[in-house]
Amino acid sequence: MSMRSQVYEWDATNYASTNTDISASVGQQISIFVGGLGNNITKPAETSATEFVVIEDIAVTPTAFVNSGSASAYRGLTLTLGTGMAGPRAYVQVRINTTDYFLDPDNVPNDGIPGSGSPYPRSVNFQPSFNLYPDVYVLPGQVWDVLVTWYNNAGLPTTAATCQSGDLRAFTKYTLYDGPDALIANKLLEMGISINPGNVDWYKRSLLSAQ
Amino acid sequence: MSMRSQVYEWANLAPSGQTSTLRRTTSDLPVVLPANRELDLFIGGYGNNITKPAETTATQFVVIEDIACAAQANGNVQIRINTTDYFQNPDVTNMLGIPGLASPYPRGSASSAAGTDNLLKSFDLYPDVYVLPGQTWQILYTTRDGVGSGSSTDVVAAFVKYTLYDGPDALIANKLLELGVTINPNNVDWYKRSLIEQQQAAASAAMAAKGGSA
Repeated sequence: MSMRSQVYEWDATNYASTNTDISASVGQQISIFVGGLGNNITKPAETSATEFVVIEDIAVTPTAFVNSGSASAYRGLTLTLGTGMAGPRAYVQVRINTTDYFLDPDNVPNDGIPGSGSPYPRSVNFQPSFNLYPDVYVLPGQVWDVLVTWYNNAGLPTTAATCQSGDLRAFTKYTLYDGPDALIANKLLEMGISINPGNVDWYKRSLLSAQ
Repeated sequence: MSMRSQVYEWANLAPSGQTSTLRRTTSDLPVVLPANRELDLFIGGYGNNITKPAETTATQFVVIEDIACAAQANGNVQIRINTTDYFQNPDVTNMLGIPGLASPYPRGSASSAAGTDNLLKSFDLYPDVYVLPGQTWQILYTTRDGVGSGSSTDVVAAFVKYTLYDGPDALIANKLLELGVTINPNNVDWYKRSLIEQQQAAASAAMAAKGGSA
């Protein structure tokens, strides 16, 4: 199992069955791994010397842009009178070591991919406009993070201050190459070949046929 | 990270009392937009903006792969490179660009604020649009109807997806352009591989020559 497809899903309430107050974090970049909000893991995500990670998709809860005169739920999202937005207005950014991946055209790091462009979950009402291509490579020894920012607490149900499980979620899909396959991934990177399971297998076959 | 997929999302949202903002805030409210006026998504003075016009440096190359906007209020979106509009009428006169109905953002959204339909795209930006090193580029949003006033203002958004090639990859992108090869991450990788193969072949030939003369 040296090439493994992996996913990580984050829920702002840690899948709580009761309402949770997340209002203190609105407008801030929150790590989905160790941000102290929702479900977290024990330490920052990092690759060891024998690991290589390829991030293939990121997504976050979508937002619908409607009308500030409306106040009823819209396609499963909460819409508060005056805001014109249904949903959390959330964005998701990838950070490698200290470098943010997504930039504005003036080369200033931005909030990342909007949930409206890469929604999670996908549905007929919310379809992706974005795919993460080329993939993002996390080389051996690097620390990586996925950061969520949301701006519209009024797009979360119940009251402006509380959130229920499923109201704000993020998702990332990545492939973990370990051991010999991580070495091959490094070799492919040197050769300028895209790192994916097909190309890793091709490299193994070419080594076998050369013997 | 010299080839990076990037997006920029614009919406007519700004803090109360302002028409534009450099950073999104938690108190953003819908902003009224004039009808039939081209608004630069980056520095147009409405909604979220950036600090300076979008331009490529001498070591950058941008490939615009998708543009989209809200279908509400008859929105359209146009690309401008330096002073040239990309989309034109058949009689070579100016037009407003791609209608939001043809390239909706968000995809699956309704054609009006009160609508219940799900719009899909009728338009694909292919071939892609190239922004060469040193060029300035704009994405222009125009609403034919304008966006309301008072307590009933539509929130409209626009979206652009592009790939930024930087440093050596921008040089390769220029080379591919000279060769007439489509610029995408696969072809940039292919060009790198062909350079490596040439170097290896040259090194092998040199070794063989050295061995032959010894």
